[in-house]
Amino acid sequence: MMVNDKSIVWILKIYLLIIFVFIFMPIITSVVFSFNSDRFPSLPLGHFTWNWYDKVYYDPETWDAIRTSIIVALSASVLATIIGFCTAYTDFRYNFRFKNAYLALALLPPTIPLIILALAMLAWFSKLGISGQIWALIIAHTVLGAPFAMAIIRLRLQQIDKDLESAAWNLGASEWATMRHVIIPFALPSIISALCLTMAVSFDEFAIAWFVSGLNKSVPVVILEILQGNIDPQINAIGSFVFATTMTLVVIAQLFLFTKKPNNH
Amino acid sequence: MNEGQIVLENVTKNFGGLVAVEPINFEIKAGEFLAIMGSSGCGKTTTLRMLAGLETPSSGEIRLNGERMNELKAHERETPLVWQTLALFPFLNVIENVEFGLKMRGVEKPERTVRALKWLKRMEIEQFANRSIDQLSGGQRQRVALARALVTEPPVLLLDEPLSALDANLVVRMQSVLTRLQKELGITFVYVTHSQSEAFAMADRVVIMSAGVIEQIGSPREIYRSPASRFVAEFVGTNNIISGNIKEIKGNTMIFNTAFGTIESKQEDRNTRHQEGNDVELVISADMIELSQEHTFSENEIQLQFVAEEFTGSVVTLYFEDANKNELIVQKQQREIEPLELTYGCQIFAHWDPINVFCLPDAKTE
Repeated sequence: MMVNDKSIVWILKIYLLIIFVFIFMPIITSVVFSFNSDRFPSLPLGHFTWNWYDKVYYDPETWDAIRTSIIVALSASVLATIIGFCTAYTDFRYNFRFKNAYLALALLPPTIPLIILALAMLAWFSKLGISGQIWALIIAHTVLGAPFAMAIIRLRLQQIDKDLESAAWNLGASEWATMRHVIIPFALPSIISALCLTMAVSFDEFAIAWFVSGLNKSVPVVILEILQGNIDPQINAIGSFVFATTMTLVVIAQLFLFTKKPNNH
Repeated sequence: MNEGQIVLENVTKNFGGLVAVEPINFEIKAGEFLAIMGSSGCGKTTTLRMLAGLETPSSGEIRLNGERMNELKAHERETPLVWQTLALFPFLNVIENVEFGLKMRGVEKPERTVRALKWLKRMEIEQFANRSIDQLSGGQRQRVALARALVTEPPVLLLDEPLSALDANLVVRMQSVLTRLQKELGITFVYVTHSQSEAFAMADRVVIMSAGVIEQIGSPREIYRSPASRFVAEFVGTNNIISGNIKEIKGNTMIFNTAFGTIESKQEDRNTRHQEGNDVELVISADMIELSQEHTFSENEIQLQFVAEEFTGSVVTLYFEDANKNELIVQKQQREIEPLELTYGCQIFAHWDPINVFCLPDAKTE
C-alpha cells in the first residue's frame, strides 16, 4: 500500500526516530559518561578521560568477573549448541508420537519468567550440592541458551533438501559419516550463529547469575554490586564493555544467519 | 541357474496401511537399459528406492547376482542413484561432489582427484571442477550428478526422473548422452520416468506400472504396437479403443462386430482364451490408420467425416466421426495430409491393415 499523504510519512519517520532514541539514548549516554571526567553524570560534560577504564582495569574483582563470565559463556554456548543441534536434528529426521509436545518442551525455558527459573535453579542446585559453583552457572545458562540454539539450527535444517542425506547413504556414507560430511557442513553457518547468540545470552544474563553464582560472580552481577554500593562512573565503563562484547556476538550471529543463504534453485 | 542380474521376487511395499507396491516379479538382465514407467503414485519410485536400499521391501526378495539384498543397508550397496532433484551437495564444489563416493570408500586424496577428473572429462565438464554448484546451468548439474554416481564404477545405475527439470531441447540432448554412456559402459541402467518419450527413446525394455501393479513388460515396440491391457493402451500413444464382439475365428484371423461395422484382425500369436461370441476391446493405433479420398477396397475400410484437428508441430491429430457419431482418431505427419485437402465436414475413407488391430487379452468384464 502506498502512503500518499506526506504528513503521514513524516509522522511515521518521527515516530521511528523517537523509538530509536528511547532504545539507544541510555546506552549512548552510558558510553559518553564513561569517558567523562566528572564524578557524577551531569551536564555540561567535563573533559575526556580514560580514568574510569583504568580504574576497572586495575580492579581485580572486575577481572575475576570477566574471567568467570568468559568461562561460563564459552562452556554454556558450546553445551547449549550441542543440545540445540541434537534437538533440531531429531525434529528434522524423525517422526514420532508426541513430537509436538517434545518440541514445545524443548522451547519452554525462555517462556518462564527468569526470576522463577532462577529460584527453581537455586533450589535444585542446593539439593545437588553444587550451588555457588561455576558448574551451576554453566548448567543454568546452558538450559537458557539451548532453545535459542535449537531454533536457529532447526531453521537451517528445514532448508536442507531431504534427498541430500539419502544421497550420501546411496554414495556409501554410513549414518555417522553422513552426519559428519553432509549434515554438519550444511548446518555450519547456523551452528556458528547459535554459538555466538548463546554466548551473548550467557554473557549479559543477570537474574539467574545473581541467584546461583555465589562467589563466582559474573560481570552483570558485579555491575549491580557496584551500583548498590555507590554511583561510580566505572559502571559506565564496564557497561560499555559488556555492550560492545554482546553486540559483536549478535552481529556475527546475524551475519552467519542471513548472508549464508542456501542455494535455492 | 541363469537368472538376471537383478531379480525381484514377489516384492511388496506397504506404508502403514497403504499399499504402494503389490507383489511384483521381474528380472533385469546385466547391461540392459530398463525403464520403469507409470504416472505418479504408481509405485515406480518406491520400486527404485527398494533397489537402492532406501526402502525395505515389506515382503518378497530382491537379489543382485543371485544374492539376497533385502537386509543390505543403502550405504553397503553398489547401486548409486541419480536423483530427480539431483541432490548435489551445495557446500561442496563440483569435483568434491564427484569425489564424495570415493572418499566414503576410503580412497586416498590423490587417487580420488585423478578418478574424479577422469569422469569430469568424460562428462565434458572438467573446466568447472572448482566451481560451486550454484554457478552451473541445469544441464551441467545433470552431468555432475551423473559423474558423481558413476565415479565408483558401479555395476548398476539407478535413475529417478533425472531429466524432468530440464528444458525440452536439453532433454533430447541428455537422452543421447545417457544412451551412449550406457552402451559404452555396458552397465545396467534402471530408469524411472513418467515420460513415455523418454522411456521409449532410451530403454531396451519398459516396465509399465499402475497402482502398484505391473501392467506390461516388453520392448517399446511391443508395448506400443500390442498393449497388454486397456490401461497400457490408454497410457501409451494415441490409441483407438473400440468395443466389439467376436464374430468369427479362422486360424490367426478374427472378425469382430463393432460400432464401425466388421473389423478384421490378423495376429501371429493369437490369444487362445478368446472364443467366438466374447465381448472384447480392440486397439488400433492412431498412426496406423491410412486415409484416402477414394475407395481402396481394403479389408478394414470405413467412411468418415472430418470433425476436428489438433496441430502440434509436425504431427497432426485428426478427429473423425462415422454416420453414427462414433469417434476415430488418426495421427499423421503434416506433410502426409496436405494432398488430402481436408476441410471440416468433408467425407474421407479410412482403412488399416488387419495386423495392426489388437484384441486386448482380457475379455471385457463390464
